[in-house]
Amino acid sequence: MSEQVQAGTARLERGYRRVLACYPRSFRAENADEVLAVLLAAAAAGQARVGWAEGWDLVRGGVRMRLWPAASRPRAVRAAVTLMLAGAAAELAALITVVVTSGAVRAAVAAQHPATGNGVLVHQVAVLAGAPLAIGMWLWLAWANGQGEDWARMISAACFCLLTLSGLGALSQHAATYAPASMIAAATVWAIGLSSVVLIFTPAAGRYYRPQLAQQ
Amino acid sequence: MQEATFLILTALADGSQHGYGIITEVAQISAGRVRLRAGTLYTALDRLRADGLVAVDGEEVVEGRLRRYYRLTPEGTAVLAAEAARLQANAAAALARLRPGLAGGLA
Repeated sequence: MSEQVQAGTARLERGYRRVLACYPRSFRAENADEVLAVLLAAAAAGQARVGWAEGWDLVRGGVRMRLWPAASRPRAVRAAVTLMLAGAAAELAALITVVVTSGAVRAAVAAQHPATGNGVLVHQVAVLAGAPLAIGMWLWLAWANGQGEDWARMISAACFCLLTLSGLGALSQHAATYAPASMIAAATVWAIGLSSVVLIFTPAAGRYYRPQLAQQ
Repeated sequence: MQEATFLILTALADGSQHGYGIITEVAQISAGRVRLRAGTLYTALDRLRADGLVAVDGEEVVEGRLRRYYRLTPEGTAVLAAEAARLQANAAAALARLRPGLAGGLA
């Protein structure tokens, strides 16, 4: 093997190892060397870089293994994790809608009710600041519940109570002013929250969660 | 069952294989149509092992690289046989219904 080819292989190996970092630690400990051997065997002659398609395939596998580990996770927990990811997606969709329509909505409100123009801006800023936080929260809870952390169950339930209370509060104050679309969006998020919390408190899911006392 | 999973089980049906061996077998079985990538292969193997359909059948080091062999478990053999029978029945039904149309096309 020429020195140039060896240097290329070493570089390719480093590249593959970097991409393999997206797999769970336990999987890497057992399989990284084996997967690396397969990747190098399948590589084209003289290849020194990780290709886009194979890189994407590896990242997708790693993300999948982290979010839906094969280790016997009860169906209820798997469904709850998927619902929480759907919750994050719904918040993202709401955020994109607000961003895309912000100018038009402000213009329309300013034209019809000049006095409330600032209130709309404040509401939009609140959504822009709050949505990334909510998305992060959904993703974090999806991950932690998937890991079977008991505290994640409690935080999920607490978040759902907050969501319900804030929803009821908003409804009691300005129910008449909400557009049907935003009511439907809020109801969807609430239903996702309700179903995921119900699922993680079913007896089947309960056995999967580690009790916190066990740490001592 | 996804096609990749079906083909991986099929590749292991007549004996154990290592990771790269499965990739080449699957390419051969599918007449070059399916080229499994490592990420897809190992995500599927991870799940198949957890479900008890595939088991590790030994390891060896070749040219300084780790090779792990996989084999079908009895349960994996049963699942593959059931899936193959289902696909065969579906294919037979499709072909039977297509036959009059094909005959008309030829006339």
